[in-house]
Amino acid sequence: MIKKIISSFVVAAMALSMVACGSNAATTESAKTEPTKEAESKGAEPAKEAEAAPAADDNTLTVWCWDPAFNVYAMNQAAEVYKKDNPNFVLNVVETPWQDVQTKLTTAASSGDLSTLPDILLMQDNAFQKNVISYPDAFTDLTDSGIAFKDFGASKVAYSTVDGKNYGVPFDNGAVISCLRTDVLKEAGFTPADFTDITWSKYIELGKVVLEKTGKPLLSMQAGESDLIMMMLQSAGASLFDQEGKPNIVNNAVLEKVLSTYAELVTSGILIQVNDWDQYIGTLTDGTVAGTINGCWILGSIQTAENQKGLWEITNMPKLDGIQGATNYSNNGGSSWAVTANCKNVKLANDFLAKTFAGSVEFYETILPSSGALANYIPAGKSDVYGEPQAFFNNQKVFSMITEFASKVPSNNTGVYYYEARDAVATALTNTIAGADLKSELETAQSTVEFAMGQ
Amino acid sequence: MSHPKKNITLQKKQNLFGWAVLMPAVFLIAAMSFYPMIKALILSFETGIGAKMRFAGFLNYTRMFEDKIFLQALMNNFIYLIIQVPIMLIMGLILASMLNDKNLKFRGLFRTAIFLPCATSLVSYAIIFRSLFSVDGFINLLLVKLGILSSGYNFLANPISARAVIIIALLWRWTGYNMVFYLAGLQNIEYSIYEAAKIDGASPFQSFWQITVPLLRPTILLTAIMSTNGTLQLFDESWNLTNGGPANATITMSHYIYNLSFKYVPNFGYAAAMAYLILILVAVLAFVQMKVGDKRD
Amino acid sequence: MIDKGKRVFQYVFLSIVSLISVFPLYWMLSAATNKSVDVISGKLIPGMALLANWKGLLASQNVTGAMMNSFKYAIILTLISLLICSLAGYGFEIFHDRGKDIVMSVILLAMMVPFAATMIPLFQMFSKAGFLNSTIGFVLPFISTPFLIMLFRQSARAFPHDIIEAARIDGLGEFQIFYRMFMPTMRSTYAAAMTITFMNAWNNYLWPKVIMTDNESLTMPMLIANLKQGYVTDYGVLMLGVLLCTIPTVIIFFILQRSFAEGITGAVK
Repeated sequence: MIKKIISSFVVAAMALSMVACGSNAATTESAKTEPTKEAESKGAEPAKEAEAAPAADDNTLTVWCWDPAFNVYAMNQAAEVYKKDNPNFVLNVVETPWQDVQTKLTTAASSGDLSTLPDILLMQDNAFQKNVISYPDAFTDLTDSGIAFKDFGASKVAYSTVDGKNYGVPFDNGAVISCLRTDVLKEAGFTPADFTDITWSKYIELGKVVLEKTGKPLLSMQAGESDLIMMMLQSAGASLFDQEGKPNIVNNAVLEKVLSTYAELVTSGILIQVNDWDQYIGTLTDGTVAGTINGCWILGSIQTAENQKGLWEITNMPKLDGIQGATNYSNNGGSSWAVTANCKNVKLANDFLAKTFAGSVEFYETILPSSGALANYIPAGKSDVYGEPQAFFNNQKVFSMITEFASKVPSNNTGVYYYEARDAVATALTNTIAGADLKSELETAQSTVEFAMGQ
Repeated sequence: MSHPKKNITLQKKQNLFGWAVLMPAVFLIAAMSFYPMIKALILSFETGIGAKMRFAGFLNYTRMFEDKIFLQALMNNFIYLIIQVPIMLIMGLILASMLNDKNLKFRGLFRTAIFLPCATSLVSYAIIFRSLFSVDGFINLLLVKLGILSSGYNFLANPISARAVIIIALLWRWTGYNMVFYLAGLQNIEYSIYEAAKIDGASPFQSFWQITVPLLRPTILLTAIMSTNGTLQLFDESWNLTNGGPANATITMSHYIYNLSFKYVPNFGYAAAMAYLILILVAVLAFVQMKVGDKRD
Repeated sequence: MIDKGKRVFQYVFLSIVSLISVFPLYWMLSAATNKSVDVISGKLIPGMALLANWKGLLASQNVTGAMMNSFKYAIILTLISLLICSLAGYGFEIFHDRGKDIVMSVILLAMMVPFAATMIPLFQMFSKAGFLNSTIGFVLPFISTPFLIMLFRQSARAFPHDIIEAARIDGLGEFQIFYRMFMPTMRSTYAAAMTITFMNAWNNYLWPKVIMTDNESLTMPMLIANLKQGYVTDYGVLMLGVLLCTIPTVIIFFILQRSFAEGITGAVK
C-alpha cells in the first residue's frame, strides 16, 4: 500500500517535471533521463537479489565491521583460512563504522524489520548488554553452537554473555597497558621496572619526580570522558552496577577511591586533561607526556611517531591502594562478533567463527604481524609469533605480555545502562575537579542513572 | 489579487492552476514528513525499551520536565538562539549589502570566501576549532601576546566560555550561508534606488536601514524562521565540538535525543516526546515571526 | 575624499572576514599534504606527504565510487527538488489566498521535528517499499522541503504582477508564464537554491547511513566517517578525504555566485 502511494507520487512528480520544463533544453535532458534511470535501477534490483539469493542460502556471509587495517583485514583473512576447507565460501565485508552499526541496528530492530541486517556484525563490548537486552530478537544465541568459549579469557566472554547465554565471539583485545617513554624516565633516574606491579600512590610519587626533573607529565586524558575511571574500576573487579543491575554509585568505596585518585593525578599535574581525542593522540606523538595508560590498541597510534622508535616500553597498570581485590590488570574497549537473527545460515556462521576466530592459531599468527590484531584466544598467545621482540618497543615481547595481562583481567558487570552511568560519572568527575563536593556529585550521578532507568 | 472585473471562471482556473503546481510538493511532504511525524506522535505517548512499547499517556511529556539533562539542554538551546541568531542575521545583512556594491572589486572572491565555512566539512571544522581554542592553541597564544591573558585559558573546560565557543563557531559557519539569501534577494531590488538615494545625500547607513532592510523583509523573515528552527534543533556543534561538555553545559536537545535513541538504552517514546516539544517551541516562535513579518504590501 | 576612506575600510573589513572564513580551508589544504603526526601537532605549512596520503586514501577507500555516488545523488536530488519546490513556491505566492497561506503554514511544521525522531517510521516505509540501497531511497525524503518552498514563495513576492497580466494578455498559458517569465527572472534565487540544495544533499549523512547497507552505495561523507573510525587515524589521509569532499561544493558556489549576485533585473525590463 505504502509502496503504491509513494510510487504514484514519484510518477506524478516526474510527469509534472516533464511537462513543466518542456522547452527548457538544459533541464529537460536531465529530467528525461531520470525516469529511465529509475526504471533501470528498479529493474536491475530484483535481478541482483535473485542472483544473490540462492548463494546467500548456501555459502555467503555478509559482515559489518569497521577499521580496514584491523577488523576488516582480520575478517578477510579469516575467510581465506576458512576457504581452504570450504572452497565455495564467499564473505562479503561491508565497512561500517561502529556508530553506524549501532544506528542501523537500532533502526532496523526498532522498526521490527531485521531483513536489512547482515549475518554477522562486530559489536563494541560495552554495548553488548544494552543491545541484547533491548532487542533480544535481533541476535542468535551461540551457547550451543559448538564454539569453545572456554578458550577465551573469562572477563572478555562476560561482556557478551547475557542471562548466562553467549551472544558473542570475542575478538579485539582491550587489555590495559601502561606505556612509558624510557628516555624521559632515564632523565628522571627511573626505568620501566620501577613502574611495574606498583600502586597508584607509588605511581603518583614517581610521577611527581618525573614532572619535577623533566617538566613532563606522565599522563594525558580526554576531559569529560571516563575511560581511566572505568579502567581503574574494573582493575578491582568493580562496576557502576551491582549484581541485580541497580546503579551502585553512591557509597561505592572503590569508585570513591578511583575518583579521588584521579583528582589527585590532575591536581598534582601528573595528568593533563585535553579537550578531545585528537589532542590526546597529539600529546603522545609529539612528546608532551612521558606515558599513557589505555587499552593495548593504543600501540598503533603510538607507533605513528616514527622518530620515537625504541623509546617506548610497556608494563602493567598501577593498582588501587587499600582496595580488596585490586589488581594491576584491566580492560578498555574491545569488541566481539555477534550473529544476527537475520542470518539465513546460522550453521555456516557458527562453523566459520568456530574454525577461525575461535579455533585457528594459524589464523591469529597471520593477522598479528601486519595488523597488530591481538587475540583474546588463549591458545594463540603461546604461539612463537606472539613472542617476537618488537623493535619499536625496545625489543620487548609486547604481544605475549599483553596476552598474559589479558588473562588476568578481573570480570565485572558492564550493565545494561553502561553508557548512561559512564556519562553521569564523567559529569560528576568534571564537576568535582572544578571544585564541587564529591559526595553530592555522586548522589546526583546516581539519581541521573536511576531516572534514566525509571522509564 | 484584486481584479473584480475578471471573468470568474478564468480566476477559478488560475486558482486551480495554483493548487495544481503546489500539489506535488505538498503530497511529497505529506508522505515523507507528516506520515512519519504522526507515527512519532503516537510513539510519544508510549514507553518502553527497544521495540517493546506500551501506552503511557502523557508520561513522557511530564517526565521531561523532571529530567535535569533535558532542562539544561533546553536552556542551552535558548541561550544559543537569543545570542547567536540576531548577531548572525545582522552580520549577514551587512555583508550582503557591502558585497552588492557594483563598484567593489574582487566581489566574487569575497563572496566565495565568506560562503566557504558552511561548505567546510564538519570533521575538519571541529578539529580546527578545538585546536584553536585549546590551552596552547592559537587564540590563547594571541591573547597572551596581546597581554589580555597572563597564561593559556582552557575555553572548552568552562561552561560559559565553552558556550561562547559554540556561538562563535555557529556565527563563523552560518553567517555566509544567510548572506547568500540576502544577496539573492537584493538582486530583486532595482539598483537604481540606491543610486537615487545616494544622489539625495543618504548615507550608506541610511540606505541600509531605509531601503535594504524593508525591501528584504520577506527574505529576512525566511532566514529568521529557518535560523530559529536550525538553532532549536542544533546537533552538529554540540556533538562534534564539545560533545555536550563540560558536564552537559553545552549539550543541545537534539544531541540528547540522539543519545537517548542511539547511545543509551533506546527509549524512542521519550525521544519522540522531546522532538514534539521542539516542534511546539519552533511553531510558536515561527507563528509570531510570521504575524510580525509576513505582510503583503 | 571621504569616499576613498570608506572604500579602504570596506576592503580591509572584507579581507579580514574572508581570511577568517578561509583559514580552515587553508588548514585542510596544508594538512592534506602533511604526515599524520605533523597534522596533530598543528603544523601550518604545506608538507611533502600529499602523494603518500593520496596512495593511502586510495588503498583503503573506494574514492571514485564514492565521488560518483555523491554526484549522482546530489545532482538528481537538486534538479528534481528545485523544480518541484519552485513550482510550489510560485503557486503559493502568485495565486495566494487564505487557503494556500494556511497550507503553507502547515507545511512549515514538517521541518520542525528533528529528523532522528521520524527516521525510524521512514525507514520502515522505505524498507517495505524496497527503496534501500537505491537512488530513489536517498532522494525521495528530501525532494520537497519547506525551506525551499518558502524560499521560492518569499522570492516570488518581488515578481511583478503586471508582467503576469501582460503575458496573459499576450496569450501565454500559465505554465509558459512560469518557465518563460518566472524562471529566468528568478535566476538569482534558483542559483542560491541550487547551491544550498546541492550542498545539503552532498553532505547528507544520517539518512544514507541508515538506508545504505552495501559497499556500492558509499557516499563521500560515509567515506570520511570510515577514515576516522579505526584505532589509528591517519590525519593526513583524513584531511585529504575531507578536502575532496569540500571542493565540489566550493566550485559550484564559485560558478553560481555570479548569477545570484549580479543583477538579473535586465530580464524583467
